[in-house]
Amino acid sequence: MELIERYLEVVKFGLPKRQRDDIIAELSGDIYAQIEERETALGRKLTEVEVEEILKQRGHPLLVANRFMPQESLIGPVFFPIYRFVLKIFAFGYLLPATLVWIGLMTFSATYRMEQTHVSWFHAFASLFSYLWFAFCLVVVPLTIAFVVLERQQTRLHLFDRWNPRKLPPVRNPNAIPRSSSAFEVAANLIFFVWWAVYAHSLEMRFGSVLHISFQPQWLWFFWGYLALSLGNAALSATNLLLPFWSVSRAKLRLFYDGVGAALFCWLMQANILDGITAKNLSAEKAISLTQAINHWMTTLFPAAIVIGLVVIATGIYRIVRLKPAEGHSLP
Amino acid sequence: MVMPMNSEAFDNLRLELRRGCLVLAVLAALRSEQYGYTLRKTLSEHGLEIDEGTLYPLLRRLETQGLLNSEWREEEKRKKRFYLLSASGALVLDQLLAEWRNLDSSIYTILKEQSHGTN
Repeated sequence: MELIERYLEVVKFGLPKRQRDDIIAELSGDIYAQIEERETALGRKLTEVEVEEILKQRGHPLLVANRFMPQESLIGPVFFPIYRFVLKIFAFGYLLPATLVWIGLMTFSATYRMEQTHVSWFHAFASLFSYLWFAFCLVVVPLTIAFVVLERQQTRLHLFDRWNPRKLPPVRNPNAIPRSSSAFEVAANLIFFVWWAVYAHSLEMRFGSVLHISFQPQWLWFFWGYLALSLGNAALSATNLLLPFWSVSRAKLRLFYDGVGAALFCWLMQANILDGITAKNLSAEKAISLTQAINHWMTTLFPAAIVIGLVVIATGIYRIVRLKPAEGHSLP
Repeated sequence: MVMPMNSEAFDNLRLELRRGCLVLAVLAALRSEQYGYTLRKTLSEHGLEIDEGTLYPLLRRLETQGLLNSEWREEEKRKKRFYLLSASGALVLDQLLAEWRNLDSSIYTILKEQSHGTN
């Protein structure tokens, strides 16, 4: 009965060490008892094909062994949804934006593309992958370990014994605008408006006698643009403060402001806007190289600005799309 | 319109329903001593098919919980492990049977009331 011995050997491989011999002895007894019964009924020895059929009916030996194993999971059903939620935040809050910025840089920045592909395109992709993999390991491994420890200590720490229904998070309404954030936006926009009007209204920005920055003539476009935007945003946030739910018209206005702000920012990034910098203890040569370096860095960051702008616009569009079906219900 | 249930979903529900009943049946059958193979045959003869991959892990679990006692003995030139209901197993069996009768009676009452309601 070599087939039976081979079958039991594979079952044995999948069994817990301490119970291995005991379980195999019992399973072996069961198989032989079945065979003996069949042989008595038929009045002859079973053929190898018939024994094979009996073993097949019992299922794959690893599956049989698996039935004897305790059902174990590193992170159980209580913590798994929280673990998955944190992973999603990491994936959509870091891995995806990092990949989009890389795509943006590779598409719009010839310098970056040259730097990345000077060996080969494969090398560029490998370098992106190794960067993402490193970030993944750096975050996901400690995170998983932390959740596994929590899972193991759950009963001992009585994590779910002390709780209060009043302390559960409030029901989240995605169309609600927290008044605190509207108040902050009003204050921030007004402060920016005053600062911008006082310091940025001409082509020269002076910070006492310490620092003097001069801009290209296009600067006035940015000045008036951001001045108008900060005022518009302050007015919109003030309205949101009074009516703390998004309406389609206000969501469209926010999209317009965000779109204009993002477009201006992208233009600013590649406009070589700095004309010169003078500062105490800064030589003329160093001032020129500093001006060029800042303009260069702004140009380099242009693709990232495009990606960020697109994300901001997409968020605004999503807000409008989400609001459309609810329009006409309880929105102000 | 009532959608016909797919067989996989039905099999899963049937499995869930049978799981608790099998424990009850195994405990009841082991009021007299038996070894694995004969126990399987006894259950099968009474309409409760159970494969060895389910029965043996179940027997081990029940023994770990102290509901069964077991011992290895030689019978017909072969070593066999015989199982018997323990004293605490007998107590649990009585409680489970009472619970099962209550469930049966509740379901029967619900079905009876609903059939009166629809007629």
